Amino acid sequence: MKNLFLFTLLFCCSFLMKGQETFNVNGTHHKNHNYYAFKNATVYVDYQTRLDRATLLIKDGKVVAAGLDGKVPIPENCVVYNLEGKYIYPSLIDLYTDYGMPETKKEKGPNYGPQFENNHKEAVNWNQAITPEVEAGMLFTADDKKAEELRNLGFGTVLTHQQDGIMRGTSALVTLANEKSNLVMINSEVAGHLSFNKGSSTQDYPGSLMGMIALIRQTYFDADWIYNNPQQDELNISLNALIEDWGMPQIFEANDKLNILRADQIGDEFELQYIFKGSGDEYQRVKEIKATEGKLILPVNFPKAFDVEDPYDAMLVDYSDVKHWELAPYNLGIMAQNNIDFSITTADLKDKKEFFKNLRKAIESGLSEQDALKALTFNPANFIEQYDQVGSLEKGKLANFIICSGPLFDEKNTIFENWIQGKKYTLKDYNRIDVSGNYSMNLGAKIYALKVTGDPEKPKGSIEIINMKDTSKIDVSIAVEGNNISLSFNPNDDYQKASIRLSGVISSTGGIWDGNGQLGDGSWIKWSAIKSKEDVAKPKEQEAKKDSVIVPKIQYPNMAFGFDSLPKQQTMIIRGATVWTNEAEGILKNTDVLIRNGKIAAIGKNLEAEGALIIDGKGKHLSAGIIDEHSHIAISRGVNECTQAVTAEVSIGDVVNSDDINIYRQLAGGVTAAQLLHGSCNPVGGQSGLIKLKWGSAPEDMKIHDSTAFIKFALGENVKQSNWGDFNTTRFPQTRMGVEQVYYDAFIRAKEYQKKWDTYAALPEKERLKAPAPRVDLELETLNEILNAKRFISCHSYQQGEINMLMHVADSMGFTVNTFTHILEGYKVADKMKEHGAGGSTFSDWWAYKFEVNDAIPYNGAIMHKQGVLTAFNSDDAEMGRRLNQEAAKAVKYGGVSEEEALKFVTLNPAKLLHLDHRMGSIKVGKDADVVLWTDNPLSIYAKVDKTIIDGAIYFDLSKTEERQQANRMEKARIVEKMILSKKGGEKTQPAKSKKPKLYHCDTVGE
Amino acid sequence: MKKVALLILSAFTLTLNAQIETPAPNKPQKIMLLNGIAHIGNGEVIKNAAISIIDGKIGLVANAAVIKINFNDFDTVINLREKHIYPGIIAPNSTLGLTEIDAVRATNDYSETGEFKPHVRSLIAYNTESKITTTVRSNGVLMAQVTPRSGDISGTSSVVQLDAWNWEDAVIREDDGIHLNWTRMYNRWKREKNKNYDQELVKLNNFFADALAYSKVKDHEEKNLRFEAMRGLFNGTKTLFIHADFVKEITEAINFSKKYNVEKLVIVGGYDSWMVTDMLKENNVAVMLGRVHDLPQREEDDVYLPYKLPHMLFDAEVLFCLQNAGDMEAMGTRNLPFYAGTAAAYGLDKEEALKLITLNTAKILGIDKTCGSLEPGKDATLFISTGDALDMRTNDVIAAFIQGRRIDLDNHQKKLYRKYSGKYEN
Repeated sequence: MKNLFLFTLLFCCSFLMKGQETFNVNGTHHKNHNYYAFKNATVYVDYQTRLDRATLLIKDGKVVAAGLDGKVPIPENCVVYNLEGKYIYPSLIDLYTDYGMPETKKEKGPNYGPQFENNHKEAVNWNQAITPEVEAGMLFTADDKKAEELRNLGFGTVLTHQQDGIMRGTSALVTLANEKSNLVMINSEVAGHLSFNKGSSTQDYPGSLMGMIALIRQTYFDADWIYNNPQQDELNISLNALIEDWGMPQIFEANDKLNILRADQIGDEFELQYIFKGSGDEYQRVKEIKATEGKLILPVNFPKAFDVEDPYDAMLVDYSDVKHWELAPYNLGIMAQNNIDFSITTADLKDKKEFFKNLRKAIESGLSEQDALKALTFNPANFIEQYDQVGSLEKGKLANFIICSGPLFDEKNTIFENWIQGKKYTLKDYNRIDVSGNYSMNLGAKIYALKVTGDPEKPKGSIEIINMKDTSKIDVSIAVEGNNISLSFNPNDDYQKASIRLSGVISSTGGIWDGNGQLGDGSWIKWSAIKSKEDVAKPKEQEAKKDSVIVPKIQYPNMAFGFDSLPKQQTMIIRGATVWTNEAEGILKNTDVLIRNGKIAAIGKNLEAEGALIIDGKGKHLSAGIIDEHSHIAISRGVNECTQAVTAEVSIGDVVNSDDINIYRQLAGGVTAAQLLHGSCNPVGGQSGLIKLKWGSAPEDMKIHDSTAFIKFALGENVKQSNWGDFNTTRFPQTRMGVEQVYYDAFIRAKEYQKKWDTYAALPEKERLKAPAPRVDLELETLNEILNAKRFISCHSYQQGEINMLMHVADSMGFTVNTFTHILEGYKVADKMKEHGAGGSTFSDWWAYKFEVNDAIPYNGAIMHKQGVLTAFNSDDAEMGRRLNQEAAKAVKYGGVSEEEALKFVTLNPAKLLHLDHRMGSIKVGKDADVVLWTDNPLSIYAKVDKTIIDGAIYFDLSKTEERQQANRMEKARIVEKMILSKKGGEKTQPAKSKKPKLYHCDTVGE
Repeated sequence: MKKVALLILSAFTLTLNAQIETPAPNKPQKIMLLNGIAHIGNGEVIKNAAISIIDGKIGLVANAAVIKINFNDFDTVINLREKHIYPGIIAPNSTLGLTEIDAVRATNDYSETGEFKPHVRSLIAYNTESKITTTVRSNGVLMAQVTPRSGDISGTSSVVQLDAWNWEDAVIREDDGIHLNWTRMYNRWKREKNKNYDQELVKLNNFFADALAYSKVKDHEEKNLRFEAMRGLFNGTKTLFIHADFVKEITEAINFSKKYNVEKLVIVGGYDSWMVTDMLKENNVAVMLGRVHDLPQREEDDVYLPYKLPHMLFDAEVLFCLQNAGDMEAMGTRNLPFYAGTAAAYGLDKEEALKLITLNTAKILGIDKTCGSLEPGKDATLFISTGDALDMRTNDVIAAFIQGRRIDLDNHQKKLYRKYSGKYEN
């Protein structure tokens, strides 16, 4: 890789003073170069500099000065505003908007069958979701209706981009002024934008999250190739745009804590540091997110409480959603405490009016006001390298500021004015007199007690009339216009039975009103009203000092059965168990096993070790942990990239989902490791992810990092799309005949590719520097790993003919098929498999679900084993995955495999198939302490898992399950109670519902 | 003395020719099963049993040590020494014989189009030639309630035995009940409230109200096939099977069937039934519990909840049995004994667990007078396993009888096993 990824493009920001000089004017020119001064205010020059009794001076839309009163000279041609008691802040900045962007509509896809190519026929990229050439600057049109919504919240500047596709092009920085687009645009190209969302693209590829990740990688390689080898036949506007925009800040819409980690992984590979748009669940993986060193753009759209008043409905709400509801407001505070830089966005808020309410919730939950202000001013400006323009009120910056009645985040604060580029936008008139209070109103000799409440713009008045029998309240309508006030009411008492209408003037102090009025008989009277003294000198409300915020417990993962803290490695002795060693020693009765530093340290009798936890194994059985060769648990957004016949470039390893409850459920079935396989919908599927089921850890910590690499292949009905209905009859292949040709084509292309690179590499250096380099093709790179025995195949297979075929392809291309998985007709070709050197990982007794499994027999495992094929049983199913020991027992039942060998079908043999047997699969000194303690013979249906231990730490403990469930129940009940209170307190709620369970199988299509 | 054969079961040889499994001849026979461990199916065990089969029925069931047996009375005496005898397992709510290959539409006969189809009868679609059935028999499952699927009312089921020439001689109880899939209050896939629930309930109420009114008149000039099929629910000749899992759906279903004077109600699925056991008992409602080998439905549910539900319902003294509807259900029927095994692993006595796939099932299906346990006078539908049949580690069915006929335990899979074992031996 040459230097595109190190290369920072120098792009010039055009900071020319906006004057609309180039436009023609209809009528008389109206130029105004006056100064405006704002005196006596509390001015936040930036998020951390507060000046009391200060003056802000602006001219021509820019800040001239900000300083203490008297220190800022006021020129003569200056309009002066007295802002006694008021606060000035820099206007807020939102980095994540589509302000002024045209609406994106889902494009029309094909009427029939898949869409292989881009719908757009311009000279752009092959994939419809890759549109780096889109420039928000070109698309932007100012839209005052939308601008007003954000202005009313105190925003002055936003970054806007078209939120469509995976690579979305560049964003523009614009102000929210009500001016022509040319005037509000500060910078037309600010940042590049990406997401894991195809948006309006109708093209099939990519059909999964891992496909999107692979596509981003390949696109970067393509851009690099074009950059380094400009003399191409092809001109690709999209890739050229990507090259041009390379040096800009890159903003990645991740929208999920794990997606932040995934995007960062891509960034690391290409020496890019993304800024991540998150979703508010980052607190659940704060350690890992901090380690990305990425800055965050975070929303404040906290989830609504669920309707949980019906206890049965409450059962439907997932524990994890209940937990997240409570913790979401703490997210920003937790980020700040961890010194993670973030800016706050209004994005994702359905009702933007909730912005300040939610922000205050975050502040109550531990976010400091200074950090909040920083996240709305300095950080967003700084993230996109525009702090010299906006984000504070220093000299020369845009005159974007807000005038508030008090501190910005106070509940009672009112934003009066939002000045943008030196132009005033009034939200509420601060000159309007607030007439609320208690008054003594005199009409001639009659005195009424008047009470005025409500918003200054809509005051509401009432008087109390005391009769003989009762007291009645009479409404008084009040209107204030400037200093004039008018009142109208009908007291219906001894004094008057008709309307009294009064008009008067409010005194400069606001305490006295007086004027004339007309009674029901048309006669005029004088009247006055005097504000009661205690109201005039209202004691300032005691600021409720917050105690230090206590963050509710975060679990790992933050869901049911999540740990409060991760299990730790312990030194332990399992004493007196029946130990199934899977080694030459066989099954040892009444034996001790010592575990230390995550490894099996000793096997024997009467073992001792200082400080060791002693686990009573009497009457129990200890086996190696179960390894599932074929699992689809713990995967995010799609197990299949079905859209092409060969997708070797995608990897399940990129999309491991540490939040799948089935990880815990499988621990409860004694599973300690699994190969997470791509599905089976294409002949060459994606790369595998190998994990240990370390529940609570982040995906990267679950992965087995030093393992051999694997890839999924598939044969038969799924890859032929036989059972996909009538619309899927065009993707090649549709027959077993076609499948063979897909393989030959792929591997021959891979070899030619390798040859090209070899030839290139063999050139003398001088020539090589001049010669065009071949293009990096991730698909073919992966296939070459297979050819070079650096990656191994697990091939989904059923019928003997196709199994035989693939072995022939492999033999002729020079590689070995490591494992046939499913392999339900393996018994028919066990001799050939043995000769080729392939293992078989099969189902114990599945059949009859497809035509091609008509000859599947439960004796398959036994026959293959007997013929010397390395044989395993796998699950392909989250349910069966937790009973693999029972499935192993079926090898005893069907075909008479010995018990000792049968257990190896789910322990040592899959370890061998996965090249992990040097550290897993048997109980041997030095191997990983991945073991299961069973209450009975592990092959028996009566055996329960007593403990599941991984790397010497206890991940599942039968004796603790009741306790943990009780803790879950209590925790949920506690939060449910809080939800009910919040509903009673007037908070909006949402109906009870739960997340869709994601149970992938081989043939699951889509996310 | 007539011909007395004292056979050891290992002498039962597999027929090595590859002929298709054929129903056993129905000739009167007198057989004595001697010295086996008899699991009666009602909770009892007789360790050293003598069980006679007389002309298709069970004659004697006794402790061999305490009675005198005249071997001359029997055509065959089989010495079972330490082997286990069980009543034939019954698979309720099953699609056996209605499907052959899930993915091949032409082989699927369980799902008729339409919403209310009580008149649609599974029996006539039951395929006695199914290759799946013979693999199921060889694990001890000898009877099934063949049940249609889909729609609001999926149709009418029948109970059959699994060794027959055609559906007529397979039948044990014809048209035993009607299956109603209760409208879900929560959408199954979206997991959100079903907004059409009330509307759909109105439709269901209308249908039942009409059916009940129709049933009051014996002969209608114009017959309505749907309503004719429904008559049995109101006069007690048919059972209403309501498929429901969510606790609110279960309680609604019980009140609904009371409202329309349905005499016999069974809840099928019943994931939440443990929460309303008092209501179930008060109303004599039985439960056909969903798969024991299943994942919990909710994130925070006990990870072993489906394993533990049988014990929980047992403790609450609810009448219930096990079934295995779901993905790949027909072929999975052969694992029904292991569901009972898991129920035993998670708290239930083994003999009580056995009841959940034998006598309890027979009671719920209304066939316990002739099936479900090893008791005198009942059909001699039973099997013999060398070990504990509820554990896959030891389940090894070496002989089975249906209504006294010793059935062929061979199947498509065993034949392929022999064929390919032979390939490697030669």
